[in-house]
Amino acid sequence: MQRYGVYCSLALLLLVALVVRPEVYRPEPLFLILRSASQLGMVALGQTLVMLVAGLDLSVSGVIVLTSVVIAQVGAGQDSRILPGLLISLGFGALIGLANGLLITKRNVPPFVATLGMLVLIRGAQSAYTQGIPSGQVPDGLKLLNQSLGPLPVSFVIWIAFTALLAFILYVTPFGRRVYAIGSNREAARLSGIPVDRYIIAVYVICSLLVVGAGIILSGYVGYVDRYLGRGFDLDSIAAAVVGGVAFSGGRGSLVAAMAGVLLVQFLSSLLLIIGMDVQAQWIVKGLVVIGAVALYSLAGRRS
Amino acid sequence: MQRKHNLSSLRRVLSILGEAKPVKRTAVLSALMVMLSGAAVRAEDAAQKFTQAEVDASPYLKSVVARQGTMADTSKFRKKGPYKIALAAQGPTNSWAALFDQEARHHVDQLGKDKVSELLYASADGSADKQVPEVEDLLSQNPDALILVPMGRAALAASVDRAAAQGVPVVLCASGVDGDSYVTEVGTNLYGLGVRMANWLSDQLGGSGNILVMDGIPGVDTAEIAKAGAATVWRNKPGIKILDEQYGQWSTSEAKKVAEQWIAKYGKSIQGIWSDGGQMSQGIIEAFQEAKLPVPPIASADYSNGLLRQVKDGHITFSAGQYPNAMVILCIDTALKILDGESVPRFIDFRNAMEKTQDVNTSNMDAFFNPKWSDDVFPPIFLPDSKMVELKYMKQ
Repeated sequence: MQRYGVYCSLALLLLVALVVRPEVYRPEPLFLILRSASQLGMVALGQTLVMLVAGLDLSVSGVIVLTSVVIAQVGAGQDSRILPGLLISLGFGALIGLANGLLITKRNVPPFVATLGMLVLIRGAQSAYTQGIPSGQVPDGLKLLNQSLGPLPVSFVIWIAFTALLAFILYVTPFGRRVYAIGSNREAARLSGIPVDRYIIAVYVICSLLVVGAGIILSGYVGYVDRYLGRGFDLDSIAAAVVGGVAFSGGRGSLVAAMAGVLLVQFLSSLLLIIGMDVQAQWIVKGLVVIGAVALYSLAGRRS
Repeated sequence: MQRKHNLSSLRRVLSILGEAKPVKRTAVLSALMVMLSGAAVRAEDAAQKFTQAEVDASPYLKSVVARQGTMADTSKFRKKGPYKIALAAQGPTNSWAALFDQEARHHVDQLGKDKVSELLYASADGSADKQVPEVEDLLSQNPDALILVPMGRAALAASVDRAAAQGVPVVLCASGVDGDSYVTEVGTNLYGLGVRMANWLSDQLGGSGNILVMDGIPGVDTAEIAKAGAATVWRNKPGIKILDEQYGQWSTSEAKKVAEQWIAKYGKSIQGIWSDGGQMSQGIIEAFQEAKLPVPPIASADYSNGLLRQVKDGHITFSAGQYPNAMVILCIDTALKILDGESVPRFIDFRNAMEKTQDVNTSNMDAFFNPKWSDDVFPPIFLPDSKMVELKYMKQ
């Protein structure tokens, strides 16, 4: 039940939507849902990896806005400058991930504190640099990421490709097995000769790089530097992973199930919006779904 | 009362003009222009009347209307200059607030050291928690007046009380606080703004049509007040049908996501939009343009240069209210008036006292749009072009 819980819940939600609002199955709303899911999904991929090593990354929304500022400043509205913008953003992302990882492993700072501090630092540095007004312009070429490839949004295809790649790494390679081992019992992993710190640092770097990917997709989506870009993605990505069965304590949970969690969270958000529910009620429903998921998993965990 | 206030201000400005040193004349002349243009927009403002039922139903509106008609006796604050003015600002957390600070510094420079000897500045970084101790620090430096951009209505009430107890006159700038111990508040009637934007949209639709409403952030009083103002209009216009009402969190990306779902659901039946913020209006317009649908008339609570660019390029019918960061100039001038012992209204609407603060729409937008400014600039700007270029807010 634990393993298939999220898929059953997703199926149930899809069925409820079919009864309550069948128009959600028209191509247009479906396209929008998949596109929004892919934006959150890129962040959730990184967040899931970090949670598998018993971590947490609260700096993701800072990395997203930073990426959009860099893309606009370096890109300056010209498609030919997308690549330098992309490389510099990835460079910043890697540095932030490295700093998070070093703080957590070498200085033993709890992940919550380290990444929250990093979020504040990124925002401060960015405000100081831009003086509140980010100049530059997002290159139009990035809008391609939000257009369609056949019936699917380009960003959705990218998200699926990254999910497949990371799932392969996690389930087939020794790297993946060691990530799970570190999350289950860090000390045991260390004693069995796994370079734990290096793995944890690598996971935080990968997470930040994936979030830079989300930042690029979102920059193309909005077309402007929006200071609220990615707001809420930190908690939504954690919620999606938890709904997908990823344990806060680490070492337990499936990447693919977490991505089903993303679809579930996003489909639910869109459905509530299409129903025209008040935002307050939307938050209550979303909160209940996350709490319900955690409660069910812990119940199932105890029984097994 | 308002008229009396403006006439006495005008007399004062004229008397200063007679004795002003040449180097200060430009500043005084610009102040005179501000006063005169205030007179020009007063007729428009006077047209916005509220029924007693409306006033009774909204504590905010009741307070604003009452304070606009009450003069504060400031004789006890009269003292000789030059003055030490404290400014507890939001801090450069966004473009609006960044330019607010620049306008303040530039205006103080223009006034000269013989008028304002020192500007004590504190940035709250948008946080009430940070602002409370900062105000304490500012007060410990014994300023002659405190200009406060409150980051929380309840949180800063005690700080204002403390300043009053210390004998420091407080000018609230851009937002209000609970309590009554400040001298005056400079801002605008947000309820009235909601009403005007709703009436404009209704007029565009000839009194009937399907509209969508996007509010700011739930529970934030500035968003809820404008929403309540618009709601009174919708109640009295049976022909206006609200298809849906959602919060866009004052975010372009959030607004675009919501608007896309609206378009998917209602498509071409959407005839008008009421949006409580320029950055959300930008996201809504993007969604319509990407869906290759004509953008319906859009009423926006405020606007940025980027929104004007979009509206101009897309030939979109729109109207927007103003919330200029340059209102800090009026806040500083009001603090100086108080220190001069001149009585001031307890609520000063910048629409009555500053030039270029009337509502912007498709027909007059050219006076507000500047193609050389970056998209994130909130007009009107009173900084000289050379300063804007220096600050990298403007292309050469």
